[in-house]
Amino acid sequence: MKISIQINASPYQYQAADTAWNFIQAAIDKGHEIYRVFFYHDGVYNAHRDSRPPGDERDIVKRWSGLQVEHGVDLVVCVSSAQRRSLLEQSVASKVGGYENALADGFRIAGLGLLMEAVIESDRHVTFGA
Amino acid sequence: MLRLVLKVKTLFFIINKSLQGNVCGQEFLDMALMAAAFDQKVVLLFEGEGVNALVKNQCPEGVGLKNILPILNALPIYDINDVWVEKESMEVWGLVEEKLEISVKSISREVIKKQINAADHVFSF
Repeated sequence: MKISIQINASPYQYQAADTAWNFIQAAIDKGHEIYRVFFYHDGVYNAHRDSRPPGDERDIVKRWSGLQVEHGVDLVVCVSSAQRRSLLEQSVASKVGGYENALADGFRIAGLGLLMEAVIESDRHVTFGA
Repeated sequence: MLRLVLKVKTLFFIINKSLQGNVCGQEFLDMALMAAAFDQKVVLLFEGEGVNALVKNQCPEGVGLKNILPILNALPIYDINDVWVEKESMEVWGLVEEKLEISVKSISREVIKKQINAADHVFSF
């Protein structure tokens, strides 16, 4: 089954990112395809390159980057949500000014169109974080 | 590049929280508008506390927030014509149709349940 994922909540403060992570692992193990993970609302903080949790805790951002490396999952951060929340990627920062390297490896920035495409193309669209 | 998308799905957007107070309501409406721009069949349902978003004469500018009433008025331009409100929620919040900014279809919880089951995807925030 083709599944797309939407994450609406920031990491660490809510369980959404962890639950989504476990869901995705289980889905891949069962042979399903994760078409895209779309980060929206405060979910964009999952992509913050400068997140540095204490060494004995899970590193949520690194874990996402690893998912992209290991399984080639498309990690997309909503551009307008991200701009509001100070997460700019180079092409955006060069236009509006600001820190150019905010997104961790493996994430890309794009518009809501990519969310809609994922919804339309997938058999299931699962949202984490109300 | 996006591929040309021809599939049409029924996408159900449930607004059950206030649209003011944080930016999520506004971002949620953006999703619904984008779905309509992709020629999907969009149903917008207001229920619970969310029904208050429809009340006339709101002035959120007074506390520095964006007014979403112009977006609600523009829904037909986006071809979003299925705008529903849950009948029971209207009663709970003491609202009648004359108090609302736009014309909506008042639908009972029972019917809504069936419609949600029939939708391809359901969104809330």
